Amino acid sequence: MNANAEVVPCDDRLIGHEVTYQFEQFLYREARLLDSERWEDWLALMTDDIHYWMPAIENRRRADKLGSYAPGRGAYFDDNHFDLQRRVARFMQPSAWAEDPPTRHVHVISNVEVCPTETANEYRVHSVFVNYRSRGEADNDLLLGRREDVLRDTEVGLRIARRKIIITQSLLMSKNINTFF
Amino acid sequence: MSHECSGACPRLKRDAASEPLPYLDRLIDLEKGSLSRRVYWDRQIYDQELEKIFARSWLFLAHESQLPNAGDYLTTYMAEDNVIVVRQKDGSIKAFLNTCPHRGNKLNFTDAGHARSFVCNYHGWSFGIDGALRGMAGQQLFEASGMNASEHGLHPVAQVASYKGLVFGNMDPDAPSLTEWLGDFRFYLDVMLDMDGQGTEFVGGCVKSVINCNWKVPVENFIGDIYHALWTHDSAARAMLGGPVAEVYNDPESYHVNFNGHGWEFNLDVVGNAATLGDKEIRKYLYGIQSTVAERLGEFRSKMIGSISSVSVFPNLSFLPGQNTFRVWHPRGPGKIELHTWTIVNRSAPQDIKDRWLKGTMMTFSPSGVFEMDDGENFEFSTRTNAGFVTRQQDLYMGLGLDTQLTDTDLPGNVYRNQVNEANHRAFYQRWADLMGARSWNEVPQRDEASLQESAFDHEEPKVNA
Repeated sequence: MNANAEVVPCDDRLIGHEVTYQFEQFLYREARLLDSERWEDWLALMTDDIHYWMPAIENRRRADKLGSYAPGRGAYFDDNHFDLQRRVARFMQPSAWAEDPPTRHVHVISNVEVCPTETANEYRVHSVFVNYRSRGEADNDLLLGRREDVLRDTEVGLRIARRKIIITQSLLMSKNINTFF
Repeated sequence: MSHECSGACPRLKRDAASEPLPYLDRLIDLEKGSLSRRVYWDRQIYDQELEKIFARSWLFLAHESQLPNAGDYLTTYMAEDNVIVVRQKDGSIKAFLNTCPHRGNKLNFTDAGHARSFVCNYHGWSFGIDGALRGMAGQQLFEASGMNASEHGLHPVAQVASYKGLVFGNMDPDAPSLTEWLGDFRFYLDVMLDMDGQGTEFVGGCVKSVINCNWKVPVENFIGDIYHALWTHDSAARAMLGGPVAEVYNDPESYHVNFNGHGWEFNLDVVGNAATLGDKEIRKYLYGIQSTVAERLGEFRSKMIGSISSVSVFPNLSFLPGQNTFRVWHPRGPGKIELHTWTIVNRSAPQDIKDRWLKGTMMTFSPSGVFEMDDGENFEFSTRTNAGFVTRQQDLYMGLGLDTQLTDTDLPGNVYRNQVNEANHRAFYQRWADLMGARSWNEVPQRDEASLQESAFDHEEPKVNA
């Protein structure tokens, strides 16, 4: 995508269509939970060791080794499970004034690629999202980005163990991010 | 830190000052405590603000820690003027308009980096980090045209100066010094900037976002409005602390203080703000250094290091002690701002504590932060309602805490009892009106006289017992 682009090979010959279909359905359902504000059900899809990371994007020259984002720099989310719980707890408060009346969300998920990893029950899954949020009369916010997940196949189904979210905006054109991706 | 440009800077032209708005005195009634909604909406007022506030105030440019080496630079804004701030070979810091003086293209398109020179994309004009025009393609043709390259370097910001790590710029060569501008407010700034003599640094880079609000709305919010926290931030407090915001209405030891339009509201609970980060290691750190701070700055100020408090430095710099978010609200027309935020920490803090603070500020006060989430909505609609032609002819209440000024106090500046107050709002608008009404610095009333000597900000190193 830019200075930080890294196209890791994806040997998807090992992944059958049926498996890819399952992953896609999982990601679509996850998006529908977010669109329905079912925050706790969404949180239940995260493993206990989740790292949920959405770095802030900087404009730097291609030659600048620092790149446009990196761990330890600015981030909108750099969360473990406990952090996500707190965010969900805020959404659930009756006094979350900026959520009442509710925001209307749509998450469009596409470009799903499922790649095997060295761990048998873990898959690296790439996808892109389009998020459109509308509030009140005329508040409309559009945000697009790429995601790189590690999805883990567990006894209770697929779970998200790691998510990296790279948005296109360096200057966030919205007053807040009152959703997840 | 200020560079050579006193009074007659040939590279930075300025129009003669325009006439102040004829209806200025009808916008604010400080004795009654009322404010016209027009200040958030009218284009005419905004245009005057660019000239009379922003183009002659000291504006925050950078933290020195962002530019450790010669050639390190960042780009930022002074209101809507884009500038490059760059560390020089002699260690000083200079700032220039981020535009090529040839055909006016933007010069540097990055947020930050390291450069030996700045080269314009349009025709390849090249400038040194000192702003001097070094050369261009077809140089002989320009020379044959009689051009003197020394007259066509980058336009320098008229004055650049630092206070304990914070670098400020001023577009007005006639403006009073930064020292005079901050004055006795430095007594309070030292709580954030000089806890232990090791100074501060920014960690984690800059997060930028757009809020559709007038720039003064968030400045007011940070200069003295703890009052909103109890209601606005109830949801965030319950999420982070497991309960409501502390009842600060009747705290007997809480204050509004201001000087030259800069304001700080606070109590003395040491860690009230820090607690909202929900990280006990940060609280432990603050309690751990409190005695060091007390030795250096005195008992009183040592109780402010992370207490329930908020600060704005006139006109558009704000921060929160304890949460350590540090931010500038850059105006983008009367109804829009670009918010730039950083995390500020003590340089001497352990790396683990710095990391925790970086994470904590993002969790609480960033566009995705659980506190800021509810602020943005308030800021936008406190602005947008004034689109109504009749609505904006109405006045707002700004009289909370009239008659709470303390006269029997040793604290510098104007001091008011109870942090639930609008004294700092009134002081901000007094300063705003003073500048908006002045054609020149001679016409700006000197309301606040500094009482502290320079030595008051020169703290002895704390005595360490081996």
